[in-house]
Amino acid sequence: MRLLVSWVRDFVDVAASPEEIAEKLSMRGFEVASIEPMPGGDAVIDFEVTANRPDCLSVLGFAREIATMYELPVHLPVDLPSSESGAKIALRSTAAGDSERLKVSVEDTELCPRYAAAIADVTPGASPAWLTSRLQAAGVRPISPIVDITNYVLIELGHPLHAFDLAKLAGAELRIRRAKRGEIITTLDGVERKLEPEMLVIADANRAQAIAGVMGGAASEVSQATTVVAFESAYFKPASVRRTSKRLGLKTEASSRFERGADVSVPVVALERAIALMEQLGAGRMSGPIVDRYPHVRQPAQLYLRRARLAQLLGTEVADREVERILRHLGLGVTATPDGWDVIAPTFRVDLSREVDLIEEVGRHHGFDVLAPTFPAQTAPAPPPDPRIPRDRLVRRVLTAAGLSEAVTFGFIEAKAAEAFARGTAAGLVNIANPLSAKFDTLRASLLPGVVDSVAHNRRHGRADVGLFEIGARFSSIDGETRGVGLAWTGHAADDWKSGSRSVDFFDVKGVVERLCGALGVSLRFEPIESTGTPFLVPGQAAAVFADGAAGKDAAGGVRAGVIGLLAPAIADERGAPRQDEIFVAELNLDVLWAGRTPRDEAVAPLPRHPFVVRDLSIVVADTLPAEIISGTIHTAGRALAAPLIGVRFFDRYQGKSVPGGKVSLSVRLTFQAPDRTLTDADVQESFDRIVAALAGAHGAVQR
Amino acid sequence: MTDLTPTPDTIARLRDEFGAELAAAETDRALQAVRDRYLARKGGVIAALMKAVAAAAPEARPALGKLTNDLKTDIEARVAEKRAALDASRAPAGAVDVTLPGRLTPLGHRHPLTVVRDQMEDIFTRMGFAIVEGPEVEDEWHCFDALNMPAEHPARDMQDTLYLASPLKGDGGADDVRTLLRTHTSSMQIRYMQAHTPPIRIVVPGRVYRRDDLDLTHTPAFSQVEGLVVGEGISLADLKGTLTAFARDIFGPRSRLRFRPSFFPYTEPSAEVDISCWKCDGAGCAMCKRSGWLEILGCGMVHPAVFESVGYDAERYTGFAWGMGIERVAILRYQVEDIRLFYENDLRFLEQFPY
Repeated sequence: MRLLVSWVRDFVDVAASPEEIAEKLSMRGFEVASIEPMPGGDAVIDFEVTANRPDCLSVLGFAREIATMYELPVHLPVDLPSSESGAKIALRSTAAGDSERLKVSVEDTELCPRYAAAIADVTPGASPAWLTSRLQAAGVRPISPIVDITNYVLIELGHPLHAFDLAKLAGAELRIRRAKRGEIITTLDGVERKLEPEMLVIADANRAQAIAGVMGGAASEVSQATTVVAFESAYFKPASVRRTSKRLGLKTEASSRFERGADVSVPVVALERAIALMEQLGAGRMSGPIVDRYPHVRQPAQLYLRRARLAQLLGTEVADREVERILRHLGLGVTATPDGWDVIAPTFRVDLSREVDLIEEVGRHHGFDVLAPTFPAQTAPAPPPDPRIPRDRLVRRVLTAAGLSEAVTFGFIEAKAAEAFARGTAAGLVNIANPLSAKFDTLRASLLPGVVDSVAHNRRHGRADVGLFEIGARFSSIDGETRGVGLAWTGHAADDWKSGSRSVDFFDVKGVVERLCGALGVSLRFEPIESTGTPFLVPGQAAAVFADGAAGKDAAGGVRAGVIGLLAPAIADERGAPRQDEIFVAELNLDVLWAGRTPRDEAVAPLPRHPFVVRDLSIVVADTLPAEIISGTIHTAGRALAAPLIGVRFFDRYQGKSVPGGKVSLSVRLTFQAPDRTLTDADVQESFDRIVAALAGAHGAVQR
Repeated sequence: MTDLTPTPDTIARLRDEFGAELAAAETDRALQAVRDRYLARKGGVIAALMKAVAAAAPEARPALGKLTNDLKTDIEARVAEKRAALDASRAPAGAVDVTLPGRLTPLGHRHPLTVVRDQMEDIFTRMGFAIVEGPEVEDEWHCFDALNMPAEHPARDMQDTLYLASPLKGDGGADDVRTLLRTHTSSMQIRYMQAHTPPIRIVVPGRVYRRDDLDLTHTPAFSQVEGLVVGEGISLADLKGTLTAFARDIFGPRSRLRFRPSFFPYTEPSAEVDISCWKCDGAGCAMCKRSGWLEILGCGMVHPAVFESVGYDAERYTGFAWGMGIERVAILRYQVEDIRLFYENDLRFLEQFPY
């Protein structure tokens, strides 16, 4: 709302400077966007008016606020003598009744509780400079005296008026009715609009001439040739105007006031003001009475404000005199009672409907800054945080300690990216119904597209080694909203001045995943993914990750918690990373991992009192035999041996010279230890031989 | 061959010559050569000088002998001293260059939004708040209706809210159907109040979504920290005290807050809060656009209609709530000029923030 300071001084004799007025109002709920100086010490203050204060989309509304601030009276225009010199125009007290020249019928009183109109014979001319300059200061373009008058009243009283060229209305009548299905109107902006039956229109005998509360029609537009106008001053149901304006994508000065709530008591006053102005300007003369269709008169709200509640909510006592002063200056009716006040909230204050609204008014003008801060007493201990808070912090600590940095990306991505990472799986992608851009039209079912895009961004900026992770929500029509961690790593895993560099490979990422799950207390199983299973990963370097302890286990005793592998080069390329990059990725469902934690016995195990014995074993087996199977065979064979087997660790895998084709040499370190005695060489040898025999029997393993 | 005519001048010259040679000897081998040249029993300069002194005139002998002996003692001492110095300058066996970088995976970095969020969580935890999280996909009732934003409220316009093309099932049973991306963390106020009774003191961090273009100052998704306190006798003064304590903790003890009345549908009275600019201490600078103040959050007393929507007795309980953008705080604190930096994840940016 652009407020011209000299205009508001018509209503309230405030001497303060525009800067001071702006500053004080900004501390009472009206944020100041700018102050533009005008000639003669005048200024336009541009205020942001919050949605609850449609009454302040007017000079009069601000006059009330300023009057309250400075403890001054508000002069309504009716109090002023008509003046030749300038802008002070009185109301023109006009009789109400039925007009012989215009028939008004309200067919939908729910959407149009009040409709007033007046007829005037007009004479062509031009608006005086004082009027056009005031309109321009308020940001309104002057057009013609009649239109300027309606706009002047709009800015001054906040009530939208409309003027029809009566000669262009069929049948000299206005019918306030709902639009007919498929009815068409060309609005003042020259656009042809198709109406719907829930929209309210002002029609003549034949067709819609205006969209109620939104915009007039071009057919009955006032022009230089107009000789008779019908002024409309109405009150339309806010929700209806908002719906219509939204459906049509048409926002106007009128619609923004009606949809927030105009003053149902003001239509006739606004008409009287417009007519007085018109007659003073010599732009026309009223003909006949004002027509006012207002079947159910709305009473102002009767509220009660308790002194104790006011003090309790604000946390301070406000003197009775101060309470009454504030409310009265704002235009409210106030009557003191023993423990508070009966308050009448006038119809222009659509935001005042309960006690707390009055407390806000008192607080706002008393000032929030005078309240002494207090700290609320704590009467109960704080419950523990959401378990996801410490969980995610732990995940973050482990991953940053592993050298990865944290990324944050949007929860929605482009469909192409979402699909690339969803192919071959039942991802259940969910789209956004009203995306602003195709780049953000699909909810992410995976964190990987975002993390991979961030890796690609860094690679394009010349960064060789990039390791990123993100913790965040994923969305799918199958699993709903889950939280996961995604990571992507490319470049060098280790790079130092002595041992040189080594590229990131599958086992670096697997190591990170294992460490993370170790920290969370989850045991994992990795299974190779068939080549068709996850097309965004390279076959042969892709695995599904299963959490073994989780509820809802599959046949093998685990729940799928995620994937790990080498990103398909075609996808890396498509996401903008250099084609030769090997990007290793992993994604884990943190909710599944958390549920899959293995319960731990907190009691400490006693330390062994007898020494352990280590034996290394090298065997040659088929190179397709998974290490997990071999360790399984070793563990099975190691059960109930003379020397208990307590550790199996692979420490070398070799293919090449002296190893036949299709075979691999594996070296395993076996550790034996008994809790109750020192093992003898014979015990260990016997156990070792049994293990070798088991491997030979099960896998044809040959000891090297 | 050096002139070894035994005179005090010769001895003084030899001392100078030795000094120069010693200074030039920078290795063990060179030092040994200097030592040998002067002190070798056979053919050493001192030995030769001794011989010459022995052959000198008897009356000059004692004085020359003393001078020669002094020179010898001096040379021995200075050679020993130099040897010690050389020894000291040499790396001991197995020595390493301790200034070379250590060998350990470098630490990764937390995202700046996490750094700020963690700090906020820690501050409010100390104040007795529980930290809770809520779903990002919400239903209209939790996001709007229950927060005193009825169906026709402007904030529910398609302009602001991102809706799902197909609803997502929530975890609340068959009727729990989520249709939109939450526009604020305030929806979790409702979920928490539905599941708990006062007193309540919670902080809800999380991501929120708006139908905004991506530019220097806007993103279609950002992070918020929501706070809610409900109890008997909670007042606007308590809100001021809580937020002032928070601001002094995170922005420094000199911080001042300014509460400007404002409007939110779910609080009444409502206020926007400015913090005194910490760069200029309120004097006015480029960061605060010469105003001395930085807008930091919105807050207010919980609207009774919100309590009514969760079945609380709005007469008995009062409370306050606030919502604060984490990006906003991070932008001001780290003086980030382009909000998009938070979402590009450029390591050159991320590495400027702590582990």
